[in-house]
Amino acid sequence: MKKILGISLMLMMVFALLTGCATAPAPAAPAATEAPAATEAPTATEQMPAERTVIKFAAQADSTPATQAVVDAYNASQELYTVEWIDMTNDSGAMREQILTSMQAGSSDYDVLSMDVVWAGEFAAAGYIAPIDQLMQADGLKISQFNAGSMTAGNYSAKQYTLPFFPDLGLLYFRKDIVSTEDAAKLVSGDYTYADLQAMAEKYMGQGGTTDGIVFQAKLYEGLVCNLTEYTAGWTDVEGGLVALKAMVDSPASPVDILNYSEGETHNSFIKGASVFARNWPYQWGMIASDGTISQDVVDVAPLPGGSTVGGWLLGINKNSVNQEGAWDFMKFVATQGQKIMSVQGGYLPGYNEMLTDADVIAANAMLSMPGFQNALASTISRPVSAHYSETSDAIMNAAHAYLSGEMELTAAVDAITAALAN
Amino acid sequence: MRKTITAKQAAFLLPLFLLLAVFALYPIISSAIYSLFDYRTNDQQVAGLYTTGNFNAPLFSEDCGYINWFLEDDITLLSEADQTELRAAMEQVDALAKQYVTIGEVTKISAAEAKQITSQVAEIQATIQSVYERNDGVTFYNGWDKLNTIFREMDSCMINSNFTGLAAYGKLLSDTRFFHSLRSTAIFTVISVTFELIFGMALALIMNKAIKGIGGVRTTALIPWAIPTAVSALMWSYMYDGSSGIIAKIFTDIGLIASPELMLLSAGGAMTAAILADVWKTTPYMALLLLAGLQIIDKVLYESAKIDGAGPAKTFFKITLPLLKPSLLVALLFRTLDAFRVYDLIAVLTGGAQGTETLSIYAYKLMIAQNNYGYGSVVVLTMALCVGVIAFLFVKVLGAEIVKDD
Repeated sequence: MKKILGISLMLMMVFALLTGCATAPAPAAPAATEAPAATEAPTATEQMPAERTVIKFAAQADSTPATQAVVDAYNASQELYTVEWIDMTNDSGAMREQILTSMQAGSSDYDVLSMDVVWAGEFAAAGYIAPIDQLMQADGLKISQFNAGSMTAGNYSAKQYTLPFFPDLGLLYFRKDIVSTEDAAKLVSGDYTYADLQAMAEKYMGQGGTTDGIVFQAKLYEGLVCNLTEYTAGWTDVEGGLVALKAMVDSPASPVDILNYSEGETHNSFIKGASVFARNWPYQWGMIASDGTISQDVVDVAPLPGGSTVGGWLLGINKNSVNQEGAWDFMKFVATQGQKIMSVQGGYLPGYNEMLTDADVIAANAMLSMPGFQNALASTISRPVSAHYSETSDAIMNAAHAYLSGEMELTAAVDAITAALAN
Repeated sequence: MRKTITAKQAAFLLPLFLLLAVFALYPIISSAIYSLFDYRTNDQQVAGLYTTGNFNAPLFSEDCGYINWFLEDDITLLSEADQTELRAAMEQVDALAKQYVTIGEVTKISAAEAKQITSQVAEIQATIQSVYERNDGVTFYNGWDKLNTIFREMDSCMINSNFTGLAAYGKLLSDTRFFHSLRSTAIFTVISVTFELIFGMALALIMNKAIKGIGGVRTTALIPWAIPTAVSALMWSYMYDGSSGIIAKIFTDIGLIASPELMLLSAGGAMTAAILADVWKTTPYMALLLLAGLQIIDKVLYESAKIDGAGPAKTFFKITLPLLKPSLLVALLFRTLDAFRVYDLIAVLTGGAQGTETLSIYAYKLMIAQNNYGYGSVVVLTMALCVGVIAFLFVKVLGAEIVKDD
């Protein structure tokens, strides 16, 4: 009798241990291995009058002073609100989980959220962020005033949910000391196809000490989805895009292990002068100056044929926030005037189009005045906006990578990707 | 044999059972309930446990607002007659929105009312669509496509029951990812516990010797076990690192792996890395449990064995091992259950990549990263079942005694 009791006690404890930590959706205790919990960093720089409402802004740590400067500028600009920047973990996956856990409990922990462009669809579908169309209209803001790709990324079910925090976009870097003036002009104008680019890569490969014609991201990861977005011209021509990308992968102009290339391999090759063309994000421009063996003088940038994929971060309002008005006021500030501070102090691209012609912004970002860059900025496209983005992206990259490595037929890959896009 | 329970005993037992109910039974029961629903918090249609029809009133009135807002712009481009028709539709939409705008949350709704709302919306939708189709040539500010998207979202405001019964358990049977993680969990458990047993036994035999300074040895040996797993896993991940890790370099130099980065980036390498780190960490724990068992063995037995002329090997197999069996089985049981539920070590080392995804990691990803509590609970309960089976085998088949009777 006692023995049975003992055994059942033991079994119960085992079950309790096992299920106790995973029974959801009570605020799940983060596992011991998770990044340290976000620490609150009150940013008030002066003694605020007590009646100011506190607006909590959840954003990743910023290695530049820009985010802090924007928050300070906002706090100094008005009397009603004090914004506190809640410093989130730098691991974006962990940050997403942290925000989701808080949101599904219906909490008002964060008023304004900064989100990776690919989260917006999911957050909107789950009803965690509030649509802002009416707020925008009331304040006379138009969608066309902001970076197009970023705005599309934050548009779900015909409603606009976000404004750009800072956009990022895909660019074609090329060596203007190798490429002929004629070809360079063609590239900068954006009036070329991927077939033209492949022909040029094959033609110029080996010149000027290079070993490869072109490098880009074709490893099995999110970067492949970004590249494929460009090849398929924003998913309007899936089959054509896959064929063009496969031709580029199979071409002698790309490295043999291109299917293992991510951003790191790409910039290593290009800044060390080993390749003529490289598809990468704007950060590579700075790397050429800081770590490159080639100088920025021999490099130019061009738009990509099917448009440039947008990355970067967006701003949205927590639907459960008790300070909706303050949240919108701050978000609007960051997305408009604040973009100048972000750009001048942090080197981020402005998501507010008006800032692209601002003298201070241009002076702080050499890239902005390059015609190729301006053309790229004018033709931004976004990755699929989906309520289940991680599954969509996973299916797309698996099918595309299998096709590129010759393990899957074209029709099967097209079908798989089309099905994933319809999800 | 029947024992009666006195009032005093009952006074002790009652709180015990209450505690058990709260801490042991409640989590299992709620997991079991979740597992019967298609419960995903990131999809408004299945973000709760719904057994009857429900209505997402806040989203519905928001959508009503959007329809009128879109129409207000487009209506200016139309003829007088079409404007009148749309104005009438807009008033209907307004009336609908007013009816539900005060309900701030998802509420229960009767089938009749749901049907009524659906047919009302369908009617309005048809009216609006016909006006747009009639004015095919006009370039609208918003257009039918945007309105249609909103109407589709309105359909999703009607929430049906998401009770799926045991369907999710059926899905589990065809879930290859589950079986992959079950297999890697089993591989991890069997190999790591085997090595821990061998090394733990050796360590315990050494620590059992009454030699000078053994206290220091015992303390030192416990250090790996005293370090929090997340910390020691990070430490190991530095040593396994492809560009600067010492272990990755040594393994490459002696030819175990082709290049250092394969330590964590190849299937075999990553599993070996996880097992090695686990063996390092928990061998002292195993040794400690075994040492306790060794110390209760009567020293007289060893003396008699010596007198009878038994060698060290014979003494070990004929005396130490049989007398150690109870402690040994308990130690093995604890370690097997622990290893089966491994999460932190692997989460830090690989995050579940390269075929090292264990059941705990899979369950975490389902529940926290994908917000799929329904299916996640199925995986968790199946895992609990596995743990129960392991415990049963140890207790019933091998005869491990956790609780001593009398």
